[in-house]
Amino acid sequence: MNVAVSRAGRRWLWLVFWLLTLFLYAPLVILLIFSFNDRELVSFPWEGFTLHWYQTFLDNPEILTALRVSVVVATLTAVVTTILAIPASIALVRRRFFGKGLVSGVMLAPLVIPLVVLGTALLILFNTIGIPFSPLTIAIGHIVIALPFAILTLVPRLERIPAALEEASRDLGAGWSTTFRQITFPLMLPAIFSAFLLSFVISFDEVVIASFVAGDEVTFPVYLYSQLRLPRQLPQVIAVAVVVLTISAIVVTISEVLRRMTDKSLEETTRVHDEEEVSVA
Amino acid sequence: MATDTASAASVETSEPSPRRRRGSGRWRVTSGLLATPTIWLVVFFVVPVVLVGVYSVGLLTLLRNDDYLSLEHWRFFLTSDTYLALFWKSVRMSLGVSITSVLLAYPVAYLLALIAGSKKYTLLLVIIVPFLTSYLLRVLAWRVILNPQGVLQSFLRSIDVLGPEQQIDWLFNSTFAIYLVLSYVWVPFVALPIFVSLENLDQHLLEASSDLGASRLRTFWTVTLPLSMPGVVAGFIFVFIPTIGEYVTPQLVGGPGGFMFGSAIQSAFTAGLDWQFGSAMAMFLIFAVAVLLIVFGRFLNVRSVTE
Repeated sequence: MNVAVSRAGRRWLWLVFWLLTLFLYAPLVILLIFSFNDRELVSFPWEGFTLHWYQTFLDNPEILTALRVSVVVATLTAVVTTILAIPASIALVRRRFFGKGLVSGVMLAPLVIPLVVLGTALLILFNTIGIPFSPLTIAIGHIVIALPFAILTLVPRLERIPAALEEASRDLGAGWSTTFRQITFPLMLPAIFSAFLLSFVISFDEVVIASFVAGDEVTFPVYLYSQLRLPRQLPQVIAVAVVVLTISAIVVTISEVLRRMTDKSLEETTRVHDEEEVSVA
Repeated sequence: MATDTASAASVETSEPSPRRRRGSGRWRVTSGLLATPTIWLVVFFVVPVVLVGVYSVGLLTLLRNDDYLSLEHWRFFLTSDTYLALFWKSVRMSLGVSITSVLLAYPVAYLLALIAGSKKYTLLLVIIVPFLTSYLLRVLAWRVILNPQGVLQSFLRSIDVLGPEQQIDWLFNSTFAIYLVLSYVWVPFVALPIFVSLENLDQHLLEASSDLGASRLRTFWTVTLPLSMPGVVAGFIFVFIPTIGEYVTPQLVGGPGGFMFGSAIQSAFTAGLDWQFGSAMAMFLIFAVAVLLIVFGRFLNVRSVTE
């Protein structure tokens, strides 16, 4: 007998699961289907299949510029966030120091600040010290909100890497940097990859902070937000939406699958390591 | 802590002991690791938030019509019915959306963690992927579906359920639309911490409860649900906090009734150019979130969100 659920209950829960999945995916599928509808209005009736809207957006310089700005901002965000998150997570997992609670509190605090507050705060900061708005100021804000997510991706992975491996390397005479390059970094790599992608996705998607501190060059979400009230642009905006959604869904799925796979392989490696340790003892 | 006091005490001795030298070397490594990320967050997160507070009381002024050293904006906000009403409206929206998301996510997390077996991670991924795709585009999808000329209502017209001039008013530019779309956005994210807390639950406890004669329902109420509360609280908080400052979705699907507390802050900074008043409201929002975190913080395990 299963204690968690009865047979009828199990059937109900599966029904709820599939209904929720339908609820989550239906709007995206509808968007996909209607991006091919040959009609100015995104609605029924179906007037035939067309790639016209994809063609229009590829010819729209404003959309292409906004996409390019977004890619630049997101890449910059992902690179800097990852570079900052690696030492931070190593310190939080491997080192003992005074004020650790405070430091980790500050590092995770951006998780719990409403974006509209951070947006206004950065607006005041950049005005006070006189930094003009540009894609750079957007990236600065995005790094702040992506950093806790990157750290939280790296920390569990680091915790699963036995510190003994690093100690062994140090005992054999390797310095900090050699140990990091040869042991820690390669073992962390899958998580680093995930953290990079996650930061990229967070930045590429973010609209609130970006709209507060954007200069003349706006990112794709900011452009989209400003265009949503113009119905004439809608069909081509939906075509871009489908492209962006598809790419991000594929990237996210690949990165998650990779992470699970490499986590499993790390578990196996460390299990072998534990067994050897036992047999040596 | 103990080692720090020890090394602090050894600073007093004139000749550094070997132990202390090693200690300061270790400290140098630690601070080297922490320096850049900490400085980044202090400069671009802590300082800006402090500046908002400083600006809201006029300790610092930027615009020509700013009042120097004045609590006027706080007084105006705290005595104004309009703006406090907006705040409570946002609180109600956040509560409604968080509770809906938790109620939708719980059965699914329960199924995946306790019943689905080896497929659970794959199915969890199926639920999560929509959350990691663009937020704004998912809101856009609902706009396309719900609006009076949109996919749903035009479909109902084409099968003659709706007359050619008829439309369903509560479907778009309504409170219903705001709740629907925001719950849609957050459900996958809430499923995650609940899944983690249920997965970490020792299933022997459920067997024990059943062996001792408890029904499944009773086991659920007295064992499973209480033990999964940390996940529920984490999910609740992580929806509540971003939603309380939310203005994008309410504006896109909520119509005139979609003007929220976040919208008031945003427009004070952009349209109204009343930065000091906007700062007071933003500060108030931070205080509200802080109170919430103090009350619920001990239930909160941040890590459950990413694992």
